[in-house]
Amino acid sequence: MKTSMELKESPRIKEFKFILKRIRDNPLSIAGLVLVTLFGIIALMAPILAPPIEGRDPYVIPRSGYYPEPQPPSPEHPFGTTEGQYDLYYGVIWGTRAAYRIGVLVVGVSVIIGILVGSLAGYYKGVIDEILMRLTDILLAFPGLILAMALVVAFGPGLDSITLALILVGWPGYARLVRGEFLRISAEDFVEAAKSIGCSDLRIIMRHILPNAIFSLLVYASLDIGSIILVAAALSFLGLGPPEGYADWGQLISLSRNWITGTANNPFAYWHVYTIPGIFLFLFVMGWNLLGDAFRDVLDPMLRRR
Amino acid sequence: MSVSLRVYVARRLLLLIPTLIGMTLLIFAITQLFDPIERASLYVTDPRQARSVQDIIEKYGLDKPFYIQYFNWLMQMLSGNLGWSQSLHMRVLDAIITRFPATAELVIFSVPLIILGGIFLGKISAVKRNTVIDHACRVMAIIGWSLPSFWLGIMLLAIFYGGLSIFPPGRLSVWAENLVRSGEFKTYTGLYTVDAIINLNWPVFIDAIYHLILPVITLTTINIALIMRVMRSSMLEQLGRMYITAAKARGLDSKTVINKHATRNALIPVVTLSGLLTAGMLSGAVITETVFEFKGVGYFAARAAVQLDIPAVIGFALFAGILFVIANLIVDILYAYIDPRIRLR
Amino acid sequence: MNSDILEVNEQLKVEDLTIRFYTYEGIVKAVEKASLHLRRGETLGIVGETGSGKSVTALTILALTPPPGRVEKGKILFRRNENSVINILSLNELQLLRIRGREISMIFQEPNAALNPVFRVGNQISEAILSHRKEEIVKKAITTIERELEEGRVSICSKLQLWAYNKMLENEKNLMLRIIQSVPILRGYIKKKLNQVLREEIIALLKLMEIPDPERIFDAYPHELSGGMQQRIVIAIALACSPTILIADEPTTNLDVTVQAQILDLINRLKEKFGTSVIYITHDMGVIAEISQRVAVMYAGSIVEVAPVKEIFKQPLHPYTKALLESIPRPGSPLKSIPGSVPNLINPPAGCRFHPRCPYVMDKCRSVVPELIQVSRDHYVACFLYGDGENG
Repeated sequence: MKTSMELKESPRIKEFKFILKRIRDNPLSIAGLVLVTLFGIIALMAPILAPPIEGRDPYVIPRSGYYPEPQPPSPEHPFGTTEGQYDLYYGVIWGTRAAYRIGVLVVGVSVIIGILVGSLAGYYKGVIDEILMRLTDILLAFPGLILAMALVVAFGPGLDSITLALILVGWPGYARLVRGEFLRISAEDFVEAAKSIGCSDLRIIMRHILPNAIFSLLVYASLDIGSIILVAAALSFLGLGPPEGYADWGQLISLSRNWITGTANNPFAYWHVYTIPGIFLFLFVMGWNLLGDAFRDVLDPMLRRR
Repeated sequence: MSVSLRVYVARRLLLLIPTLIGMTLLIFAITQLFDPIERASLYVTDPRQARSVQDIIEKYGLDKPFYIQYFNWLMQMLSGNLGWSQSLHMRVLDAIITRFPATAELVIFSVPLIILGGIFLGKISAVKRNTVIDHACRVMAIIGWSLPSFWLGIMLLAIFYGGLSIFPPGRLSVWAENLVRSGEFKTYTGLYTVDAIINLNWPVFIDAIYHLILPVITLTTINIALIMRVMRSSMLEQLGRMYITAAKARGLDSKTVINKHATRNALIPVVTLSGLLTAGMLSGAVITETVFEFKGVGYFAARAAVQLDIPAVIGFALFAGILFVIANLIVDILYAYIDPRIRLR
Repeated sequence: MNSDILEVNEQLKVEDLTIRFYTYEGIVKAVEKASLHLRRGETLGIVGETGSGKSVTALTILALTPPPGRVEKGKILFRRNENSVINILSLNELQLLRIRGREISMIFQEPNAALNPVFRVGNQISEAILSHRKEEIVKKAITTIERELEEGRVSICSKLQLWAYNKMLENEKNLMLRIIQSVPILRGYIKKKLNQVLREEIIALLKLMEIPDPERIFDAYPHELSGGMQQRIVIAIALACSPTILIADEPTTNLDVTVQAQILDLINRLKEKFGTSVIYITHDMGVIAEISQRVAVMYAGSIVEVAPVKEIFKQPLHPYTKALLESIPRPGSPLKSIPGSVPNLINPPAGCRFHPRCPYVMDKCRSVVPELIQVSRDHYVACFLYGDGENG
């Protein structure tokens, strides 16, 4: 047992180092890494960067009045205010945190469900596999946004509904992936060997199959986060998300719709209202897409070389 | 059509039924998330009918077991009764039918651009791998893919409509709208561009195109990345295959090798994706239509969702589902046409 | 370059070929100063294990070294006709197109991988023929139409076709011709007679290749045919233009033994008929014995021994060749394999690449690379066990 573990360990570490090197070599992926880390820091440091008001839900943006017209950036409001005098700076900072929260939650839970379902299907095959695969097929065949919309309407609008809806829509993708990996790896010799020595099924799954599947999952997850946040923001934008005044990028952008024509003199008078939250959203998604793309570029030749 | 293709098409058509059942089951499962009163609204076609909720519950067996309900509901759907839309004050079915041409118009203009553009960019990206062109294309693709469609739409509107006062939202200007509604303009398809041509009314045609420009740009920018990426990786995969080396060894020049041999094989996954993409867009470029107030199916669905107009949302989901199933069917058949090996499976 | 000389009976000579692959893990020294020559009308067998560099060398003869490979040094001299000798590695793309498939053809290990799965067989053969023998085909088409006109059998397209074909012979890039050909229906009409002529030619060719039921095969897709049939078609395409040299890269490895025998037989007979010289690459000593007149043994990127086939079997000189022959399974004797493993070509052993596995290894072998020297009339070997003072 120990020998086979050793044999599997160092190639994996070697592969990991290989991935790091390739990422280092590719400027686009470095850009992605930088963006993702930057946003991560912002999310973590939100309470420091934009201190919330005591006793209130930190995700509710403080407002300085009720006047509809957005105010341009000023010392009190570094990014200005949006319609209804919500502080834009606070909104986008905490919006970063909200984005990470949704992203991690949705991907995390989807991965777990996906691993469970995919492992069952891939390892035991047969009827279980058929049923589970039909289920994922049906779910996958449906356009995600529309399914999510219907679900959110069913659950009632709000951030939690969006999260739940996205999990329900997202897990089939991971299940398929894990199942595929299972099928591929369980066909390899060392699994036969492990079984013949008497390794229990669970041990085989945990020790041998899963670690090998991690790479593909990593690629898929990093590519997925971008789309998840986009869909979540879209649903918020449509009005199916959190209520007005919540620190959510989609919400903020929907608040900006009335102000795109500006004033009589200056068509871009309210540029900050639609530009700033949008840039945050765009850069966040792009960072993850760049990273995911880089992972995929690296992983593809590696997977093929196996 | 060769025999093997005919057999394949027949087999595939047979598969249609279980697929449709699966899809409708899924939607029905979602309806079960609502409480019975809400569910009752799905069956009401005429608000005057809703005399007593209890009547409806009995009539449609909403307190009966799952499979009976499913059956009843399915019968309803098949007879065209998708319920009544609160937000639009008309039958859901009518709402979808009247609004579909707008979405179709948007799609008809966007999809060819997306597919042809994506194929072209993907191809040169692959052929000129790792050159400036390749990197530029890839970056453009990632940007396009990362852009939130609603934000892009808003930015475009802010710049062009807000800043330059051109390309306003909506489908037509007020004057054109009035003209179209009047008796002088005969509506055949509901697509303003097509109808304008048939009516030989160039001003309306130009106005319609004028209003289409920004939404089409938005949709194209976002989606072209997808096609380009798949085409690129597909091409790269083909170019590394043995038959390409063999073709070169036969003395075929690289233009023929790339354009005839590699491309044909590389297009296969692109075809699949294109079909699904089109269906996806048909089921309402929900966001884009909302941003540009383009009154199509997506616009209607978004508004219905916000107003919690359940029959409308469910009806729309059903519509989208059917479109997807049909799109999958067409794509599979196309796939078999292009790649003869598939027909044997 | 006039200093490139070939002997009178030499058809092809590979001189000091060095190929390196630039990969992420390092530089793979795939082929190191490999030299061999092919004589007119003979079959030269190249034998070696997987990874010995045989396929890369073969592809390089057609200047198709797969990336990330690069030819670092060497010449490949080819005799085109009685007087002109050229170095293939110095040709440009346009010149290479005239050689590939026409003067030097290659067939590969996996037949279905060599044929494009989405086009019909007839289409692919036509393509190959048209790319090299277009003039001939067009002329044939013209004669056929003229004959039909004499016999009074005129069709609507005849005049158009006649005009188009004559224009093609005159100037392929004629603007009028190109415009007309861009209209789908007209293009179809123009192609009709050409396709007819092609079909006849190809069916004749398929019959020559002893392919049964050529009519059906013409319209079939590659995956509808058996491996043996596919390989015959690949050979048909390769020989369609009567090339001077045929390179066969393990064409029978993936086929079963009976089919293998048929294919070998076919190649031999066609060779006789067309006078083609053949380079046959394989790892199977049995096939070598059957099909080649001379043999080159390749190990880890270098040619280690070249000799007439009988001598290789009766008197193998290089320790590797000896080991190869001994490892052929013989009923009754225990299985003997070559000790050690194929070297890592990113960090190959210094000196003679075989030295870690050689039972006769000497000190010199570990540091100096042995050159290929002539040991008897037609026998060459790269080993310090042989030769006089310079090498031993």
